[in-house]
Amino acid sequence: MSTEKVVKDVMIDVFEYPHVPYWFTIKQAIMVIKKSVIGTEKCIHPMAVLVFDEKYNILGTLTLNDILKGIESKDKAESPVSEVMVPAKFFVAPEDPLSKAADLMLNNNLVLLPVIEEDKKKFVGVVRMIEVFDELTSNI
Amino acid sequence: MITLNRQNYRKLYVQLYDIMKKKIEDREWSFGIRIPNEQELCDDFNVSRTTVRSAILELVRQGYLTRQQGRGTFVSKKIESDKLTMFTTFGELMLDEGIDITTDVLAQTIMMPVDDLADKLNISGEKHIIFMKRLRKVDSKPFLIQETYVPFHKCPPLLEEDIQKNSLFELLEKKYGIHVTAVKNYFTIKNLNEADCMLLNLPDGSPSLVLTQHFFSGEDQIMYMHSIKRPDNFVYFIEFEKIDR
Repeated sequence: MSTEKVVKDVMIDVFEYPHVPYWFTIKQAIMVIKKSVIGTEKCIHPMAVLVFDEKYNILGTLTLNDILKGIESKDKAESPVSEVMVPAKFFVAPEDPLSKAADLMLNNNLVLLPVIEEDKKKFVGVVRMIEVFDELTSNI
Repeated sequence: MITLNRQNYRKLYVQLYDIMKKKIEDREWSFGIRIPNEQELCDDFNVSRTTVRSAILELVRQGYLTRQQGRGTFVSKKIESDKLTMFTTFGELMLDEGIDITTDVLAQTIMMPVDDLADKLNISGEKHIIFMKRLRKVDSKPFLIQETYVPFHKCPPLLEEDIQKNSLFELLEKKYGIHVTAVKNYFTIKNLNEADCMLLNLPDGSPSLVLTQHFFSGEDQIMYMHSIKRPDNFVYFIEFEKIDR
């Protein structure tokens, strides 16, 4: 393999994804998904909502799966999304090799990974399994 | 005839509100006349009674219509100000410099429009919004909760600005060259929820003055602000300045 690609080469803009603060209810998150994704041309894969705190730090991700699991008991729809999201525990930096992103995703069963600039703790992008897969399989 | 668009992201009653408002502004429904009754409006626009009722209520709230028990709904008589533009200065809530006011930034983050926020900002539902929440204090006593919503695409760097020290208004105007050309203000009195009462140090359910403001730059709405003011020690003034056109 020639020079290995790094995360920033394949990451996508965070604004491709809907954002919600952690205090939104599951019901509100469902409305957001319906408005942002279902019924618009834009359909991003994997479908997820990013969950942030008051200071725009990423707290977690919310997939359709998480929501459906969350509303199995009906009264849960008014609970905050923070109760059903998958907390963001793993991050990569823009200069990290893609293989690191792949490792983290495979070992932790993740479909996307937040990209954080380490010095400023700034959330700059999202790396998805689809690009990682494409890149790592390009020489096969 | 203008029809309602069910595919539109704007709620039906808001669309109906706009149509009816236009009829009033264009004098198709002139001042003082009685407008069609609810059933006639339902038939005309092919919508439910709830939609009609919500649109009328909103027009009544904004002063376009008045209801008279047993007689019907009428277009309000208005004082015309054709050649006179009122320029309004907000003394209280724009917060003069010089007063010892401190600000806690409770939130500065991104969200999507939920509930009726997309309508309030006049944007579609998939647009990101910068949400800012600030608590203003005088002598460390909280007196104002200010929630501000700006469509992200109107001014992305606002997300990282220091909104504790700087006024949003000044940032928009001076730093980003977005000039506010009009502000629509609505005042209401509301009983506050528990969280807001806690922030303002008030007993649960206290009534408070709520000011909602829509900021425009030309035709574009650039900001929506929801301010909750502690009810005590409160003098609000509006200054009118006559501008010749």
